Order: sequence, then structure tokens, then C-alpha cells
Amino acid sequence: MSLISLPFLFFMICLLFAYYVAGEDQQWKVLLAASGFFYLWSNPVCIIFIIISIVSTFYLMRNPVKSHFIWTIVINLGLLILFKYSINFGIDNLIVPLGISFYTFMTIGYAHDCYDKRIRPSDNIWHYALFISYFPQLTQGPIGNYEEMHDQLIKYHPFDFQRIKTGGYRIIIGVFKKLVIAGRVGFYIDTVYSHPTGYSGLTLIVATLFYLIEMYADFSGYMDIVCGVSEMLGISLKENFKRPYFSKSIPEYWRRWHISLNEWFNKHLFMPSVTTKWNKKTANILSKVFPKAKKGTLRLIVPTLMVWIVTGIWHGARFSYLGWGIYFAIVMLISFCTQGYVKKFNAKIHWNPDNTFIKAFQIVRTLTLLSFGEIIYRSESFSDTVYIFKSIFTSTRINGASIAAAMTPFGNGNQAAASVIIIVILAIAQFVVELAKEKDEKAFTGHRYIYALLMIIVIALFGVAGKSNFMYQAF
Amino acid sequence: MKKVLITLAVAFIIITSAILFKNVYSCEMPIKNRGIRDAINTGDLDVLFIGSSTFRANVDMPMMDEAYDGRVYDISYGGNQLVATVIQYDEIRRRSPHDYGLIVFELGPMMLAQDVALSDSRVIWDLSLEGKQDLWISMYTAGNTDFPMLYEFFVTSGMDDLITFPVTEPFYSTRYYKGAKTDETVSPGKEWLENEEFDLSDKYLVEEQADAVANIINECKKDGQDFIFVESPCYYRLQDDPVFREYHEEFVRILDENGADYILASDVSFDTHDAALFEDMNHMSAEGRRVYTAELIKALKNR
Repeated sequence: MSLISLPFLFFMICLLFAYYVAGEDQQWKVLLAASGFFYLWSNPVCIIFIIISIVSTFYLMRNPVKSHFIWTIVINLGLLILFKYSINFGIDNLIVPLGISFYTFMTIGYAHDCYDKRIRPSDNIWHYALFISYFPQLTQGPIGNYEEMHDQLIKYHPFDFQRIKTGGYRIIIGVFKKLVIAGRVGFYIDTVYSHPTGYSGLTLIVATLFYLIEMYADFSGYMDIVCGVSEMLGISLKENFKRPYFSKSIPEYWRRWHISLNEWFNKHLFMPSVTTKWNKKTANILSKVFPKAKKGTLRLIVPTLMVWIVTGIWHGARFSYLGWGIYFAIVMLISFCTQGYVKKFNAKIHWNPDNTFIKAFQIVRTLTLLSFGEIIYRSESFSDTVYIFKSIFTSTRINGASIAAAMTPFGNGNQAAASVIIIVILAIAQFVVELAKEKDEKAFTGHRYIYALLMIIVIALFGVAGKSNFMYQAF
Repeated sequence: MKKVLITLAVAFIIITSAILFKNVYSCEMPIKNRGIRDAINTGDLDVLFIGSSTFRANVDMPMMDEAYDGRVYDISYGGNQLVATVIQYDEIRRRSPHDYGLIVFELGPMMLAQDVALSDSRVIWDLSLEGKQDLWISMYTAGNTDFPMLYEFFVTSGMDDLITFPVTEPFYSTRYYKGAKTDETVSPGKEWLENEEFDLSDKYLVEEQADAVANIINECKKDGQDFIFVESPCYYRLQDDPVFREYHEEFVRILDENGADYILASDVSFDTHDAALFEDMNHMSAEGRRVYTAELIKALKNR
């Protein structure tokens, strides 16, 4: 069930009614039933796999010993690998269970927290089932952790019209980002990236910049919708984005983009592997090769590589995803390793980090590095990646002919100019809002009715109909 | 609660007004150098072309102007469909008080294999509400509709153009003359045309499009309107393709069966092997356009 569809709207109206009519002990049961219905509607056969995951993890982790923890990982990762990578083993007719990547992360995170005794294992399988299957976060996250979610999900939430309004406003923002912004640029990107060899440098740069816009508008738009839906139910979800495109470095960017996934990797993979004996041994070996390097930095090398390769493969078993992971691992490592030198150098030249121009330079530099990574990610083959980079660096011209050529993917000439004007206006509007919020979190919080009115009108008249599938839904 | 309801009510009124405006009045927008309204405003015509982008690219209007004392116009649309052509013909007849000596319809063999759909948002702009409804019913009858398409058809399609009209219209209007392209397009070269991939193997005859050919003929006959179907030459690789030939023969069969007049690509002198004359497989370069238009004028005048 798409979150931007009439069935979902009807589902939400029924749910809100049932949820707020239900008694104190019944509310969470309504939510569990609704989550089950949501799953069955989307993927009826595959509900068995989420049930296997819930039941096995719940019972194994009631006694969180090492062997149970390992079994939990084997079962959940096994299912994930089976469905996600079966196509790479020649099995191409398996239907991937809805949200398997995200609920697997939540399950493993829960098991790890139980095993490390950070939380007490759940004593009620239905409560645990609701935590895993809670429908707003099931398909694309945010990846919630049990400690934060459990009480919220179980406790009674009396009807609060303020929360309905806040949630509704957030949903409007999300739908706006998805249907108006992502939907518009998506067509251009698909056209160019499906046959990049037909385009030259400037068009490829525009398509790549549009891809950055599409990714953010699509993914953060989705998060706005699920956070809004959850807010209406009185449950606050973890924020997954914090204006990532204003980051001044790549590590900062990854702290502000898909926050819950990166926190998950940090907590359950990166930090545990930094402290392992084998990593210390590897760091010792590396210290012989780089005698001047700090041991602390050397200890980050293998875990960083591992986390980024896993992140890449998590997106799918494709060269481009793996290449993307390796690229960011290298960028992150360069960032870690040069941090000290850069600080010293900056101090020497009296570089003021608060200077607006310097900040702007750092943001542009981050976006450039990010764009390179996204070219690798979005390309459909290695040869396409090579072609795109080569074209950008060797055949980019800014003149009338190349600008006209860059407009062709918008469709015929008649639509191109109108599309460009609208995209430019929307991009500037979005930029102004984000920039204001970057400076002051409370910016644009007044006059909400006017903003909502404008957004509803723009969504209704300029939204791209039929573009309700989200990018990360596939993961 | 009150503010929420007011916001929703105001949004509803504005959205409904915009939708109504677009659907009812878009055909009255002062669009220059293209479209049904501009064609009607030109007055009586000796020759009116109704076809697809092939006509738009392949017919040189200044040459036609010279041959017919300016009494010509072309209201072709990108990927135009035979089903839509019938509706465009009806629209002209309904709205125009003028006489049209000859209406030239396109004999595009592969038009018979196109699913009934909206191929160009300009169609929506140019049609009156009645025409839009007819087109939607045709698409619905062919089973090619769903809710997002309904929404796109009656709400979003063409809205970009509407909102940016004052800025974009001056730019668009320079790109056309009496509905045809004015761009000095050049050939991409023989190598490109020889290597351009196309695959017609999965095409199938769409009954609604075939029926539309008969409908065009019947309506013109009923109205006493002189008409002709014209096939533009394509690059030889496409024109000699067995599937293309099959559809060409089918089109000609329908025309013969219904007693319609036509000019085939092979009836005019045009070198389909000369890459310099083509922009792509079925659209001509500016050079090809002029060579072909000279031949087409001869053929039309000699009929």
C-alpha cells in the first residue's frame, strides 16, 4: 500500500477512528492489527517471514546468551540474504518481503542490545511484534530502537487535535517533496542515466545535481510522511535527516543523512569492531607500515572499510553499490587521517571556520565529493560510470548549444522551458527554507496555514501523478 | 479546527478554479504560431495538415505559404494518434466557421500500432472541454486509463505551460511557423542513422487506431470535405523494415477499402538513402524538409 494513495488515506481515516475510540488497553492492539493489515495488503504471502523473524528473535533473546544471539543473526541475516541476493544466485522469481532490510536491522539491533544487556528482553511477544511491524517505519525506516519505541507504542495516547494538525502538516511537506520536487526531476534523471552515452558533460552534471535533489526530496519526503502519520498516532519517530546538504564535510554529511541507519551501523558494527582483538592486531601491523600514524586512527581503517562495504552491499549486490561503498570508505578514511594536518594548516593560515565564504566553500566541496559517489551509485554499469566521469571532466561546455542540449531530457522543447522554470523556482524555495532552518530551527514555523495552503495547491496542480513509489522502498 | 477547515476550503476553491480554467479556457489562450485556435484565426485555408511530429518536422511552411498564398496551416502534435486525429478534425469543424479546401491527414504506418494514449500535452491545451472528454472516452474505451492518468489528463497536464505562459510563450512561438517547426535541424550523419537501433517486432495492430482511419474518411465524406492521406518518406532502414511494410500495406488496405485518396512516400521523388536529408529515422532535417516539401507541393497540385 503506497503511502500516497487513496487506499492509504482510507486506511488512515479508519485507523485514527479505531485508535482513538479504543480503550486504554486496546490502543496498541489496534495498532498491531493495523500493522498486520498493512503488511497483508502489501505482501500477503511474505508475512510468514516477518513472523518467523519476530517469533525466533523473541524466544531466542529471552535468554540472551551468545549462542542464541548468533542464531538470531543467522536466521535474520539468512532470510535477508536469501531474498535480497537470490537473484545473484540465479533465483529471480522470489518476492522480497516488504521492509525486510529495515526490520532485519531492527531485529539484529534488538538482539545485540539484549545480548550486551543494554536493554531487558521483551516479555510480551505482541509488544515485540508491534515494535518490529509498526507500519510507518516498516518499509523504509527510520530504524527504531526498542528502548525508545517500546513505551511509546504501548502507552495510551488520548486524542490530541494539535498532534493531528502537526502530523498532517508534516505529511503535506512530505507529499510536496515527493510528488512535486522528486517526481519532477526523476524523469530527467531516468532519461539521462539510462543512456548516459547519449549526453555530454553539462547534461550529465545537471542530471547528477538533480539526482541529489531527487534523493533528498524522495527519502526525506517519505520520512516526513511517516513521521507525520506516526505523530497523528501520538508516537514520535526518530528524525532521519538534518539538512544534510549543508554539511561541511563528508563525515558530517553521514551524521545528517539517514541518521538511524548510520547510528545503527555505528552502534552495532563499527564500534564493536573497533574494539575487537583482530582489529587491534591489524592496527599494529599497519603501524609498522605507517609508523608516524596515530594508533587510534589506524584502528579506524578496517572497521570503516567494513562498514562501508556492508552498507554498499546492503543496497544490493551490484558493482555500483559496492563501488559507492568503497568510495565513501576511502573518502571517510582520508578525512580521518588528514584531520590533524588540516587543523594545523588552517591554524597556520588563520582560516576562520565561521567565515560565510569558507563555510560555503566547504559545503560546495562536500556536495562535489558526494556527487562523485552518487554518480557511481546511480550508474547502471562500470562503463557508464567511466563515461560519465570522463564526459564531465573533458566535454563540459557552457554555451547556448550545450544548454539547449541539457534541456532535451525534459521532453520536447515545449515542455522543457516550463519544467526548467518550475524546477528552478521550487529548488530556490526549498533552498531558502532549508537555509533559514539551518540558521534557526524555528524558521518557517509561523504562518503554517498559509504554507500548508500553498503546498496543497501546488501538490494538487503540479504534483507528478502516479509517482508514488519511493526509492528506498526497494531496499 | 476552524482554521484547518478554512485552509482546506480555500485550497479546494483555488484548485477547482484552476482545473476548470485549464479544461474550459485553455483552448482560448492566445497561443501564436501553433495550435487549433491559431489555425482557426488564420481564416479560410487551402490546405490544413493534421498529423504527428512527422508533419511538423517534414513540411516547410514558408514554401507551402508561397505555393498556396499563405492559406495553409499545420496542427500536428508529437506522437499524434489516429484516434486523436478524428477528435481534432471534429474540433475544427465544430469551432471553425472557415472553409478548408483540402485536409491532409497523415499516413503513418506505425500509427496503427500505437496504444490509445495522450501523446502530447498540447492536445489537451488545444481541445475544448468537449474534445477533451471525447479523447478521454476513447482512451477509456481502449482500456488504457487509470486514476493517475485521469488526474494527469484533467489536472496536471499542461499546468506547467499555463503557469509559465507569459514567460514561455514568447520563446515557444519563435520555434514554430503556422504549426510547423522552424528549426534548422541538421542530420546527425550517416553513421548515426545506420547504427540507430529500433525494434518493431513487438508491435501489434491496435484496432481503435485502424477504426479511426475509417472514421476520419467517413466523417470527411459526410461533411463533403476534400481530404487526402499523405505518407512522409522515412530513412530507408525504417521504410524497408518488414514490420513497417506490413503496417504500411494494412494502412493502404484500409484506405482502399474506404475509397480514400492518398500519396505514398514512393509517389514522390525523394532519396531515402541520403542521410543528409534526415534528422532521425522518420523526421527530416531542414534540408530534407525543403526537398520533400517541393515534391509534396507538386504532388498535391497534380492530384
